[in-house]
Amino acid sequence: MAHVRDCEIITHREIAPDHRRMVLHAPEIAVEARAGQFCMLEVREGFCPFLRRPMSIERIFDDSVSILYKIVGQGTRLLAGLQTGSVLNVQGPLGNGFPIPAEEVRAILVGGGIGVAPLPGLAETLVARTGLAPEVVLAARTEAHLLCEQELSQMGCPVTLATDDGSAGFHGFADKCLRRLEPDADTVVYSCGPTVMMRAVHTVCVEAGARCYASLEAEMACGDGVCMGCVVETNTEHEFGKMARVCREGPVFDTRDIRWSAYDVR
Amino acid sequence: MTSVNLQVNVGGLLMKNPVTVASGTFGYGAEYADYFDVSQLGAVTVKSLSLEPRAGNPPPRIVETPAGMLNAIGLQNVGLDTYLKEKLPYLREQKCVIIANIYGNGPDEYAVLARRLEDAGGADAIEMNLSCPNVHDPQNACGGGLVAQHPDQVARYTEAVKQATRLPVFVKLSPNVTDIVAPARAAEEAGADAVALINTLIGMAIDPETQRPLLSNIVGGLSGPAIRPVAVKMVWDAARALRIPVLGMGGIACTEDAIQFLLAGARAVAVGCASFRRPDAAINIVRGMEAYCRKHKIDDINTLVGAVKV
Repeated sequence: MAHVRDCEIITHREIAPDHRRMVLHAPEIAVEARAGQFCMLEVREGFCPFLRRPMSIERIFDDSVSILYKIVGQGTRLLAGLQTGSVLNVQGPLGNGFPIPAEEVRAILVGGGIGVAPLPGLAETLVARTGLAPEVVLAARTEAHLLCEQELSQMGCPVTLATDDGSAGFHGFADKCLRRLEPDADTVVYSCGPTVMMRAVHTVCVEAGARCYASLEAEMACGDGVCMGCVVETNTEHEFGKMARVCREGPVFDTRDIRWSAYDVR
Repeated sequence: MTSVNLQVNVGGLLMKNPVTVASGTFGYGAEYADYFDVSQLGAVTVKSLSLEPRAGNPPPRIVETPAGMLNAIGLQNVGLDTYLKEKLPYLREQKCVIIANIYGNGPDEYAVLARRLEDAGGADAIEMNLSCPNVHDPQNACGGGLVAQHPDQVARYTEAVKQATRLPVFVKLSPNVTDIVAPARAAEEAGADAVALINTLIGMAIDPETQRPLLSNIVGGLSGPAIRPVAVKMVWDAARALRIPVLGMGGIACTEDAIQFLLAGARAVAVGCASFRRPDAAINIVRGMEAYCRKHKIDDINTLVGAVKV
């Protein structure tokens, strides 16, 4: 069940250049949230901007949730200007979380840039449910943009770093780095990041026979499955056919269900 | 003052208060059940129904704009059969008053939709969507533009539906016209029980970096508070010219907005994309209307309709 609540900002810190973590006091949302779900934040009163901003839940605590964001436009600039102690209207939790395997299974999480946002919560859930810390590929443009390495390591995750410019870890893209970890048919891979990265991760997983899930991002007005604005083209039928709502049927999809070629024409 | 009468009669449809939602901004009702008791609205207007399911336009489908948004969804919906089987039971269980918005390819399909909805008990009123800017069906081409831009076609479509059903028939009109009175009058003369206005204003947004349109459909419909003054003025124009009631909509986000529409002549109002921002926007307006009436010592909300002092 989703709630709309005024939530106090408990902490709000820069974690990398132009990247912030915000912890929100949101007991009702925290108690129901699962890893991979998201919230819609009302970044300012009034009508500019008009729409809420969808944000992945990073981690779920007893009476709070954290979000990670990158300052990219008007909404996130306004968000960045909010002080600790101020109040933000939050709607959530929304969407479906990551599917969690019932038994102990090798899991690899692949996060690119700010796409790492939902992965710490997922790692925590996997540790709690399967007793096994997932391996993590953390990718970013440069060393300065690598997020959450410390948090994930503290959870016991073996973290492999990859940077586009080679300033830290593997010099190259996340999919190449994933390939070196040799996923197989008994591996489940979770990815979140730029579309091009998730598509490449999907390709690696198809070749390896691994299961693969991706958490998608889309322009979104309502978050409640109503506006039909956030659809992604899929290979299988969902409630509204092969145009699935990222907010309702997603944001996490089996990557074999995503019609990746539809992104070519955008 | 003991109580305030909020009940209104919109062309034969009794609503316990003058607030419904705009088609396409409230799904089929159940989507908002987490936030409030949707049966407390005067009516629930469902997403446009077509005979067959529609896939809609490719993404991207929405763009945020100043105080509003552009959309080019393209009427993606589950189709009539799935609505009757899977969506209607919830609305009936909750005892919602239902306005079924319909979209057909040509007047005959509109008539079939209306007849089948009446036969199945799927609606308490029919709202004919003659004004969606995001679909392009050959039967509705009418020599260019939207059906609602051609008064003679508005009459033809309205007559077809009126002959098919005894339910109250509302005709939803487009603001993309020179004079809203012409299509509104055509609807009235063809037997419409009310007119609903306004649908979205056709707009466009371009990404200066890629130099391409931000919507895959190139153009879309503008909604939100940005269009409200246009809507109030068109309601005022139509209400003065017609005998049938006007269901007013366009950028309503709060009680004061809704009161403006009543004063301009709307018998009832629909809350649109404000629900995206605040899912409880519509029910808050119902509560706000009662408070407004008490403050202004009004015992019947109907006395506000068209009461603007000019």
